[in-house]
This record gives sequence, C-alpha cells and structure tokens, in this order.
Amino acid sequence: MKFLYSLSLILFVSISLFSEPIYNFQNAEDELRFNTLVKEIRCPKCTSGSLASSNAPISQDLKLKIVEMINENKSDEEIKDYVSTRFGVDSLYEPALKKDTYFLWFAPFILLLITLLVFFLRKTE
Amino acid sequence: MFYLLLTEDSAYPGADYDNQNFPIFELETLSGKKIVNNSIRDQAFLLNVWASWCITCRVEHPYLMYLKSQGMPILGLNYKDEKEDAINWLNKFGNPYTDNIHDYKGSLALDLGVTGAPETFLIINGQVVAHYQGEVNEIVWNEVFLPIIDEKEIF
Repeated sequence: MKFLYSLSLILFVSISLFSEPIYNFQNAEDELRFNTLVKEIRCPKCTSGSLASSNAPISQDLKLKIVEMINENKSDEEIKDYVSTRFGVDSLYEPALKKDTYFLWFAPFILLLITLLVFFLRKTE
Repeated sequence: MFYLLLTEDSAYPGADYDNQNFPIFELETLSGKKIVNNSIRDQAFLLNVWASWCITCRVEHPYLMYLKSQGMPILGLNYKDEKEDAINWLNKFGNPYTDNIHDYKGSLALDLGVTGAPETFLIINGQVVAHYQGEVNEIVWNEVFLPIIDEKEIF
C-alpha cells in the first residue's frame, strides 16, 4: 500500500512539480498582452496563420522574443515595430494607418460614395 | 492595378529591412573566437545564413565558391547548427567564407529577420542594405545585388 501510495505520488505530483510554464510573465496582465499580440502577428513562415497557431521553429523563437520584450516593459507598438521591420509590414494582420495604406483603408468608402452618387444621379435623370 | 499593387516588391522578399543598423550581438565564431559588432564595423561584405542541415545551401554553395574566387568577402552565419557538423560540412565541400558566426540558438538571425536558410544580406559599414531570402545564383546576383553594389560603388 505504501508502495502504491509513493508510486502515485511520483506519478502525479512530479509532473506538476517539474513542469515549468512555457512562458514566464511578471503578471497576468502581461500574459494577456502576449496572448493578444500573438493573434495579431502573422507567422513569418506560414502565409496565413497567426503566431499563436504556429509551431514553426521561427515562430517559437519570435514568441520567446516577444515574451522577453514584454518583460522588458516594451509597449505593444514597439513590439509590432520590431516584428514589422524584420518580417515585413504584412506580418501585422491589421495594417497601420499611414500614407501608403490610405488607399487600402479608404478605397471601400470612396467606391461606395461613387456608387451612391451614380445611382442617385441616374435616378434624377 | 490591383495586380501591380499586390505583386510589387514581392519578387524580392525581405526588402523592408533595408538600411537598418546591424543588430547588436555577441557570439562566437566556429573556431571559438569571440565576435561582436566592432569586429565587423567599417567593412562591406555579404552575410550568408547557412547550415549543414540545409539542402538549398548545398545547392547554393558552388555559386558562393565562385563569388569567393572573384574576391567577394562572405561572412557566414551558421544557423542553428552543431559546430562539429558545420566544420565537417566546410571541410567536405569547401569553405567560401572569410569567417563564420556560430548562431546556435538563432538569436542574431531572428534580430536580422531571418526566416530560414539560406538567406543573404549585404552589409556596408554596419548597415544592412539588402536582404534576400532564398538561394543566391547568377540571376539573383545580377538582379538584386549587383545594382546596389554598382550604386554604392563598393568592392
């Protein structure tokens, strides 16, 4: 009985004792930030998968780097900047609003406006 | 128009890293010497990311040997490789590199934006001026690297 008891101790306790969490954060807020970031950043190796979904070695490296940067109190902006300068602007799922993405952001509204304009002009004719 | 917008620059991936400072690093060479940023400052050279497990690097290798014979300085970045395997590989096939940084964990490679091997960078005075992902051959050399080399008037 004693043997069984110690065996079960070894089997069940040791697993939780010696398994460290994969990523170490200072607080729960940081962990939440990490989980949000890895969903917003594309895996550099897979065309349409997020970092969160990817187990590619490069994604693991990048996730560890993000953890490191979070623990250095870097902001989300700094982290996204780090990733996009190295792996391209399209590594962020949501493109930043800047000069060369104006067309991307506003084209749908402009097209809608033109369509409505044509529609009403033709109606009045 | 959308076709142009979507395909622009995509022929040469990694172009976004242009004109960035070379990341700060402190590593060892394959021969066990310490190598830091200062060791490679004030120079123009190619940085080639390779590994003994990388099949495309084997394909690329003869062209690097040719570049070496033309006097091109190529610094190797041995990526996630065992030291012994890397040295054996060089002894077996020939060594086109002036020296080799041993990046076992891939930390410098990550900082450079490397996604795999082979990848090649052109570095001038501590600045990355070109980054090409994939095998360098005659076509890539003429279309990607030569125009920049001519423009900057180096080598």
